[in-house]
Amino acid sequence: MSAVSGVRKAVRPGRLFGIVTTAAVIGALAACGSGSGSAASGGDVKLEFAQWWAAELPDGAFDKIVADFEAQNPGITVELVTAPYASTKQQLVSGAASRTLPDVVGLDGAWVNDFSQQGAIANLSDLMKDAGYDESQLASQIQVDGSTYMIPVVNFVYPLFVNTDLLKEAGVNEVPSTRTEFVEAAKKISALGDNKKGWALPLDTSAPNGAQNDVMSWLWASGGSMLADGKPNVNTPEVKSVIDMIKGLTDADAVAPGYLTMKEQDKVEKFTTGQIGMMVDSLAHINLIKENAPDLNFEVAAIPATDGYTGKRGIPYASWGIGVADSSEHQAEAFKFVEYLMSKDVNAQLSTLANGFPGNTASKPDFSDSDPKFEEAFTIYQDGTPANEFTGLPKSEDLMRTLNEQLQAVLTGKTSVDDALKNTQDNWASVF
Amino acid sequence: MEPAHPTAGPSVSPSLSPSVSPAPQSAPDPAFPAGPAPTSSISTLTLTRTASPQENPPPRPARMPWATRVARRLVPFGYLTPTIVLLFVLMVVPIVMVISYSFKDNVIVERNPVLVGFANYTQILTDPNFRTALKNTAIFIVGSMGAHLVLGLVFAMMLNSPLLGPLTRSVFRVLYILPWLFTIAVVAVLWRLMLDPAGVVNYVLEAAHLIDGQVDWLASPATALWAVLFINIWSGYPFFMISILAGLQGIPTDLYEAAAVDGAGPWHTFWNVTIPQLRPILLSMAVLDLIWTSQQFALIWMTTGGGPLNSTEMLSTYVYKQAFSSYEFGLASAAAVIVLLLTMLLAFFYVRQQRER
Amino acid sequence: MTTVTTTSFIRRRRKQRLTKVALITGLSLGAVFAAAPVLWMLSTSLKPNGEVMATPPKLISGNVSFAAYTTVLTDPDKLRFFINSYVVALAVTALTLLVAILAAYAFSRYEFRGKRLVNVVIVSVQAVPPITLVIPYFGLMVSMGLYNTYPGLIITHMVFTLPYAIIMMTAYFNTLPRELDEAVKVDGATGWTALWRILVPISVPGMIAVGVYTFMISWNEYLFALTLTRTDDMRTVPIGIQLLMGQHSYQWNEMMAMSILGSIPVLVLFLIFQRRFIGGLSAGAVKA
Repeated sequence: MSAVSGVRKAVRPGRLFGIVTTAAVIGALAACGSGSGSAASGGDVKLEFAQWWAAELPDGAFDKIVADFEAQNPGITVELVTAPYASTKQQLVSGAASRTLPDVVGLDGAWVNDFSQQGAIANLSDLMKDAGYDESQLASQIQVDGSTYMIPVVNFVYPLFVNTDLLKEAGVNEVPSTRTEFVEAAKKISALGDNKKGWALPLDTSAPNGAQNDVMSWLWASGGSMLADGKPNVNTPEVKSVIDMIKGLTDADAVAPGYLTMKEQDKVEKFTTGQIGMMVDSLAHINLIKENAPDLNFEVAAIPATDGYTGKRGIPYASWGIGVADSSEHQAEAFKFVEYLMSKDVNAQLSTLANGFPGNTASKPDFSDSDPKFEEAFTIYQDGTPANEFTGLPKSEDLMRTLNEQLQAVLTGKTSVDDALKNTQDNWASVF
Repeated sequence: MEPAHPTAGPSVSPSLSPSVSPAPQSAPDPAFPAGPAPTSSISTLTLTRTASPQENPPPRPARMPWATRVARRLVPFGYLTPTIVLLFVLMVVPIVMVISYSFKDNVIVERNPVLVGFANYTQILTDPNFRTALKNTAIFIVGSMGAHLVLGLVFAMMLNSPLLGPLTRSVFRVLYILPWLFTIAVVAVLWRLMLDPAGVVNYVLEAAHLIDGQVDWLASPATALWAVLFINIWSGYPFFMISILAGLQGIPTDLYEAAAVDGAGPWHTFWNVTIPQLRPILLSMAVLDLIWTSQQFALIWMTTGGGPLNSTEMLSTYVYKQAFSSYEFGLASAAAVIVLLLTMLLAFFYVRQQRER
Repeated sequence: MTTVTTTSFIRRRRKQRLTKVALITGLSLGAVFAAAPVLWMLSTSLKPNGEVMATPPKLISGNVSFAAYTTVLTDPDKLRFFINSYVVALAVTALTLLVAILAAYAFSRYEFRGKRLVNVVIVSVQAVPPITLVIPYFGLMVSMGLYNTYPGLIITHMVFTLPYAIIMMTAYFNTLPRELDEAVKVDGATGWTALWRILVPISVPGMIAVGVYTFMISWNEYLFALTLTRTDDMRTVPIGIQLLMGQHSYQWNEMMAMSILGSIPVLVLFLIFQRRFIGGLSAGAVKA
């Protein structure tokens, strides 16, 4: 009996449920109709461009650049596929596996070797030849086995950022230019107390590029190399001196806490809030820092080198690189788009927007509206040589992770510096 | 991949459902799936409701003409078709693919991978990092499960107290449910923000003189595992709490009245009425939690990435790194299959245990 | 005699009051544990980004601003994330319920060969680590032409919501007396009619429990939503929040604003259905 009354009472919600279900299903089906229409239609060519850049440029800026391309090239449309940096890679790996890579892909130098081995990205040397493209205007090309697979579109250099207020407060009057000066300055800043530290060291292993930007950068700044004849050569006095310096800083408690799982973003955050005095970081962050902390006084300088070093300084850099999918049916059109992004004016415009340096040697970034520090940094850039030895190495992200892990072991006292370098060398050698 | 399933018997429900308890001994009827089964000490109300179907077994199929019999037999499959199709295409097929990857080298990366037999498996099983991941996962699961059960139970019992007014109860219920509302990506980011050495947690603890100086909760090998465990406990207990609350509200009041008449104290009542009544829920929640916690990836990945020094490396992050950082899809698949087998083993023991009860 | 009962009555009253004080204290402590981080999230969403990491941390910033909310709510791209999440989660909920009801009916009301096998598969499926499936799924979805579409995401989410939904629905149906549907069948109706006319209408509480659970899973799903979509117009809220974490900086305030906005529908859903949700769990899935 109670069940019967239950039936009567429940019928209405039941019907309501039916309506909701129907509506939802219809809605979903209607939506698929509109959602799945991404295939090219008619004779027009539709290019997909997967990258993380649009997310890091001012809102809508990249769309405008793309719209200009479409206006100049009727018949070609470009669809931007934007994901965060970290997930772009995962998507590209999955896409490469199923041969559904977008036609044009944003690349990091660290990925190139793996994707080219996998046959996922096209040989750009061939495409350039087919298009009769003049390679000499390119500042750099990333090659594997003598063929180009990636062209850096915009380069971001990593100089030393210095919080001048903290430096003064600590009684240091000159921006450090040698390692000894740097260590001393870091210790003095840390001595200020109030949880202020001299330096930040992001060693997180999920995004292990600290190994490149914050550790090996010190080696390259003094003209060192972690490779010999293209093979790993880590167990050297030069590398050891870098690790010793870092170990000395952490032992002296001059590095911001949390470094074992710190990410690049955290480092910038700490500098912006005045918790650390110095960091090695991308020049692109100047605007971000100024936006979040308008009152912060800081300068950029070349990364300090070993005492007495007079040679050319290597300037670590990262790039927004570009490549073309091997599986793309429109490689010629795709390369046209690459050409467009590399053309003198567009490349200059893009670099200015991104606060980076152009990949086209003829392009001049427009400093008129930007911070004077950019112009300063541009001179540092032109005086030194861009250096990033991880670019183009096989499984380079894994190499960085190994280095970070070994460094973590050193800093927590689990291994000696010598053992860590030996382990890194063995591990790296097994990959090559 | 098919797990060894228990030997045949009339009872089906235990393997179907973590939340279904075995049939009552009083009314065995092989014609009727033993699902409805109330626990042995269930209320009279439930008993009368569920006992009735056993009195009306469906007509024996044997008496019908052949065609009807076949049609009859096909009917349940008609109802199951969408489920079977979906699970076959999106579960069985991919699993078979993963298993086949696990026996190959250079899978996905190269167009023509080579068969390597069990080499991937031996490599994984001898990798010390895999064993660390296994150990951490075990700690993570046991810790999460225990804390979820205890917190869920304590909170649910407090919320269920007759001393509370309806408004107070609703307000607290909503507050307690809050952690459940946020996607794990946000939970990770939020706790990273709060557990930063210069973050609000250290600030509060320092002000309360509970700690001295900035603690690297997520970055120190000594605390990282406990920190991610804590975050997982925070984000996961509400579902337990709600389920247990539902279970508490289903316990018939006459059982408590009877206990009160017998002069049982609150402690005694708790152990002898509440816990036995909640047992099926607690068990099924524990199994679900085991499954969910063992699969937890985003939280670990976005807080510690498995570091520092592998101190928070889990099986899920281990598999991910093999696949997306080392491009060793063969190894990753082998590790995944091992994880799958381990989970199946646990599920098998659970099913057996349910049957024996 | 009377005095004795009075004092014991007073003592009981006092004891009850003490218990109540202890209870409220305990509940409040628990509420701090549960809600303080959420409060911090709210506070962060109202700060200018530069002040988020300020030391010492402040609960209420000097310049409270709703800018983060305005940014999220006026950006059509970000609103699109919300629409996508709704479409996917609602469709997953509706379809999961539909499929689970059919399957649960078979499990609850029929005896058939292979039942055990199907059971075991359904239970085991829950134990499959999603991480392992990402790579094969990608190829599968591409070959079926479902990559970067709503249906692709919907059926993927269903694989993960369906097993538990079937288990819960079966348990719920099992609590309903079989004579109800038999009575209709005696009148010549089929099992199909019995299911939709009798069982489904009285199973609404159970369906709400299953529905809320399913909606939550789909709304929050991260890994496949990330892998199986690629254009911005297909992204869901969890991925949208992640998009705000650039390579170089966190948009703390916008991230928090978006996650608060994202949680509101779930909260509303829970507030509306909390009675029925708990009731549904209690009546079917849990106790059965």
